[in-house]
Amino acid sequence: MSNYLILATIIFTIGAAGVIIRKNLIVVFMSLELMFNSANLGFVAVSNALNLVSGDIFVIFVMVVAAAEAAVALGIAIAFYREKGTADIDEASELKN
Amino acid sequence: MYNNILPAVYGLNLIEKSMLSIIPEAVIILFAFLVLFLTFFEKLAKSKNPYYLSLIGIGFSILYVLMLSGRDLNGFYGSIVFNSFEVFLFTAILFSGLFAVLVSKDYMKNSNMPNPEYYSLILFGISSMMFLVSSNNLIMIFLNIEFMSITAYILTGYFKGNKRSTEAALKYFILGAFASAFLLFGAVFIYASTGHLNLYEIHTFLKNIAYGGLIKSGGGMGINIYLTAGLLLFLTGFAFKMSLFPFHSWTPDAYDGAPTPVTSFMATGIKLAAFAIFLRVYTLIYNFNIINFNGILWLLAVFSMTFGNIAALLSSNVKRLLAYSSIAQAGFILIGIIGGGFYGYSGTLFYLLAYIFMTAGAFTIVIIFENSDLISLDINKYSGLGYKYPFIAASMSFFLLSLAGIPMTSGFMGKFYVFSSAVKSGYNWLVIIALLNSAIAAYYYIKIIVKMYMPDKEMLNSSAVNSEGAFGIINGAVSDGLIITIIICLFFTLLMGIYPQIFINFANNSAASLWKI
Repeated sequence: MSNYLILATIIFTIGAAGVIIRKNLIVVFMSLELMFNSANLGFVAVSNALNLVSGDIFVIFVMVVAAAEAAVALGIAIAFYREKGTADIDEASELKN
Repeated sequence: MYNNILPAVYGLNLIEKSMLSIIPEAVIILFAFLVLFLTFFEKLAKSKNPYYLSLIGIGFSILYVLMLSGRDLNGFYGSIVFNSFEVFLFTAILFSGLFAVLVSKDYMKNSNMPNPEYYSLILFGISSMMFLVSSNNLIMIFLNIEFMSITAYILTGYFKGNKRSTEAALKYFILGAFASAFLLFGAVFIYASTGHLNLYEIHTFLKNIAYGGLIKSGGGMGINIYLTAGLLLFLTGFAFKMSLFPFHSWTPDAYDGAPTPVTSFMATGIKLAAFAIFLRVYTLIYNFNIINFNGILWLLAVFSMTFGNIAALLSSNVKRLLAYSSIAQAGFILIGIIGGGFYGYSGTLFYLLAYIFMTAGAFTIVIIFENSDLISLDINKYSGLGYKYPFIAASMSFFLLSLAGIPMTSGFMGKFYVFSSAVKSGYNWLVIIALLNSAIAAYYYIKIIVKMYMPDKEMLNSSAVNSEGAFGIINGAVSDGLIITIIICLFFTLLMGIYPQIFINFANNSAASLWKI
């Protein structure tokens, strides 16, 4: 179990780093998906090791939520692209003090 | 009190009990779908029907909450609980939703937004908050936090073609999803260390370990590391949702770019729901001294208060100022949780209720000034409004004074309960810092009042300063919904300030049910 959790943590860290470092909107969304899916990996591993089902059920819910979130994310991304003509996050600079 | 309306709970089977425990949410969801259904018919959707339908839905839900109050239900194998804690918070959430609906009508008309979807999203938002508050299972908590956040993302970006709104939605989405991922990953580690997802089961498991001495000994090391990691990640996720200091950066942008009724809804409802569920999680699984979580919360509270207040001092946009002040207020509310114990928690709940009324009131007035289209969100434009709109400006002053915590207002009583619980638990320095912060906060709240009543010389000469109408309201600019909201907020802010006993009893009852397992 702990090996899987370490792997999940590594994937999670890569995802988090991607969200922070990358500038392209779509890559950021992909990194977010990576973070969610690393958690899925963790849940499946734990639930297998402890002989439980509840973790597997959680994974199904997470997948549903991730799908819903991707839909909203892409909607926002399209709206952003239409207004700015680019998917660069640094262009999001309208709101300032 | 309402015992004879519904059949006795004990005669019901499991499914019926489960259904009974989600009636208030189910009603809201039903009405949300009804409102959405209206979009099929152009004629119905164009009129005011969606607005009234949502009001009726909220009314029914309040009715069901009252009918169910005093019961102790739990459904869906312990995933959903309904007891006096929920009754208190459902009432508060429904009030915040009611204000969001009442306030939206004019705003939506002025900005030419498609109506029905908006109202159904607000209703979905309300139901998600209610589900979140009553959830008692890591799955339910994650699911409902996401449900709530997704509706909030959509509502934030609701201004189609408005750059600020889209950008706010984008920033809110990225940081919100980032936070949810932390929350989820925290849940993995909690699950790995305890093997349970139900909060009560986790609580019992941890209690057995804590009193069995396993956590201290070497045998429990694995549990200890996983649990610490899990709880820290979980805390990070919650801190994002509650907009505490290092995780606050989405707050000013999202609040600023969103349509103002949505800002009001986010500032009241979402913050309330996030705090409420954090309160439940904190009492149930953080209270075992695995590491010193109170110390971490201490730091979060101090930094949120100080940062929020200093940033608010420097901002000249009213919505941003209120956003920063909401970060500071989150710090104040957190003091109640740090203070802990029965009085700390009931003080927190009282403060949350008070916070809803003052914040919703303040935002409503921002909406009125925004609607009457002469006045932008710049604070300097508020100059002289005290003479032009006496009633509205006076209520604004009252809400701001309440946010600052002047006696006779609900904000003062909230701060009093929260601080006294912290002093009781020996957090003297925290309270001293908080008091200093209230003094800073008073400066920028009172700055707005001064602007309204003591206009600049040229402002006084250039514009005709006279009151229009009995309330000083521009004809047609202010509808009944806005006035009703202001009056309800004024009433409760005043009542909670001068006669808080009713509300503190209510809060005590609900805090007591936190531990009922």
